[in-house]
Amino acid sequence: MKNIEVNALSKNFKDLTAVDKVSFDVNKSEIFGFLGPNGAGKTTTISMLCTLLKPSTGTALVGGYDIISDPGNVRREIGIVFQDTTLDERLTARENLTFHGELYGMPRAEIGERADALLARVGLTARAGDPVAVFSGGMRRRLELARGLMHKPAVLFLDEPTIGLDPQSRRNLWDYARSLRDSEGVTIFLSTHYMDEAEACDRIAVIDYGEIIALDTPAAHKSALGGDVVSVTGPDLEVLSSEIAQTFDIDPRIENEKVEFNIQQGANFIPTLLDKLEQSVDSVSLRNPTLDDVFVSLTGHQIRDGDISTTEKMRNVQRTGFGRRH
Amino acid sequence: MDIPLLGKNARVSDKKIAGLHFLNVVRVVWLREILIYFRDRPRVISAFMMPIVMLILFGEGLGGIIELPGISYRQFIFPGMVAMIVLMNSIFAGVTIVTDRQFGFLREMLVAPVSRTAIAVAKIFGGATIALINGVVLFAFAPLMGIDISFLIVVKLMGLILLVGFMLTGIGVSIGSRLRTPESFQMLSQAIIFPAMFLSGVFFPVNNTAKWLDFFVQFNPITYAVAPIREIGLGNELEKVSPEVAASLINIQAFGHTFTILEELGVVVGFSLLMLWFAVRGVRNAS
Ligand SMILES: Nc1ncnc2c1ncn2[C@@H]1O[C@H](COP(=O)(O)OP(=O)(O)OP(=O)(O)O)[C@@H](O)[C@H]1O
Ligand SMILES: [Mg+2]
Repeated sequence: MKNIEVNALSKNFKDLTAVDKVSFDVNKSEIFGFLGPNGAGKTTTISMLCTLLKPSTGTALVGGYDIISDPGNVRREIGIVFQDTTLDERLTARENLTFHGELYGMPRAEIGERADALLARVGLTARAGDPVAVFSGGMRRRLELARGLMHKPAVLFLDEPTIGLDPQSRRNLWDYARSLRDSEGVTIFLSTHYMDEAEACDRIAVIDYGEIIALDTPAAHKSALGGDVVSVTGPDLEVLSSEIAQTFDIDPRIENEKVEFNIQQGANFIPTLLDKLEQSVDSVSLRNPTLDDVFVSLTGHQIRDGDISTTEKMRNVQRTGFGRRH
Repeated sequence: MDIPLLGKNARVSDKKIAGLHFLNVVRVVWLREILIYFRDRPRVISAFMMPIVMLILFGEGLGGIIELPGISYRQFIFPGMVAMIVLMNSIFAGVTIVTDRQFGFLREMLVAPVSRTAIAVAKIFGGATIALINGVVLFAFAPLMGIDISFLIVVKLMGLILLVGFMLTGIGVSIGSRLRTPESFQMLSQAIIFPAMFLSGVFFPVNNTAKWLDFFVQFNPITYAVAPIREIGLGNELEKVSPEVAASLINIQAFGHTFTILEELGVVVGFSLLMLWFAVRGVRNAS
């Protein structure tokens, strides 16, 4: 059963096409990842699916309802954790949750119970009565996750949910996401720029410049990439590259002053490589494919340099609040 | 009170549930407005500071200079001060929608299955309530201004403040829902509040102003909000002067017609509904 059906959805801002005719389906009880660099159109797509932004063209059904003609019912079906914080800092953690419960028309008795259970689940019980203004970035993020789940949505949107979380909270979030999928059949749509996170998804759509350029399971993405990345350096890269191409019948590329190619079981291949090469080699290195590799192979360009690290740093600074860690 | 609510399986078409949900959303959004008002200490303290400042400015300062028939300027300005307090607090209350947008919380409300009208109504009631709180503080200063204020007058004034506050917060929310920064809201609302205040009869009986000003005064909706506040606020004092003098102090002559208090209230209600409509549209288009 499909819980999200997107059909040629586009969004233009003046002459910028932020989202360009994307189409995909997300099944019920699936964790679906949206992987792309900054400005790829992830947030814009989520905003349209959540009824906060009108598409320029195209349509989508979320939870079985049309986002354009029936936004009210879509809103009832979904929960969302926005990329930027949307908590009320002057309210306490618990008040943020109970206010949410009231907005979604939950029965009064259930609101309190559910708020307390979720606060416990995200480890904020001891801080429930503190105003959010004194929360650290990670605590806010966890509270937002709890809030998104307050009203037991059938479809959960998470826009870069692990930004600002420490490794333990990150793992905790993923455990929770999987248990929601498995025990409650929740459909989860999340965006990320982390390869390791994308790997934990059931399926990943790679989005760049507003277009979906590949959509598959993580295993399929990886095998499409052709295995591990081997990088070789030497005095003459051009010659090295053509010799590797001829000897092993593979298609290397020259990048960042290195000859690089993909190969299954790279570790086992390196001895053979060194054995057969006539050219002199300075160094050989081996790594697992990264998001960059997926990008290079799919788009022919590198993930926009510096983008992620700088904006992410800024965000983390913004989010790092006062109070101590809990 | 436990309200049966819009559970996940209820359809929007269920009118009764939808109606109850509407009221509940108005209630919680209003409650939050009041809660965050009281948590903002400087705002609460200013409720007590403003009357004292005004008392000195108008009671002691202008009070000694300006002469009016029948009553003292100090008495005359008291309901004007009430109107000023309501004016400033109500319009300014519209800033919360700007800060909600700035800090993202507006999206939390807009992505929820709630009526945009409910959000606008709640914000407007919130501003009116805050205006009322500030107005009531001012009542305590009535004796100092030489005003004989009775319980009945207080009750009537409270009702009036709520109504006028509704109209003025409507202006604030209409503006706020269309702006992105609190700074621009601050500038724009000042630019509205000051001329509107001077051209509404807050400081002088409107019939005393220069002819060319009359034009603005009669088109200023706030004129029709100030007049009933003055008529009710001065209630006991007006009984002590001749009907002609009383009329000269409180009546609005506009468009060749002398407005009765009911007509004035009609204008206020009409303009309130118009502002509500603008505010709802503003919230609906906000994102
Ligand atoms: N309201 C807007 N007006 C104009 N342009 C916009 C607007 N919102 C987004 N854009 C543009 O649309 C493009 C896609 O932005 P979007 O926020 O969807 O990217 P993203 O994939 O979420 O990136 P990030 O990883 O940085 O969050 C960007 O070029 C952005 O500048
Ligand atoms: Mg984004």
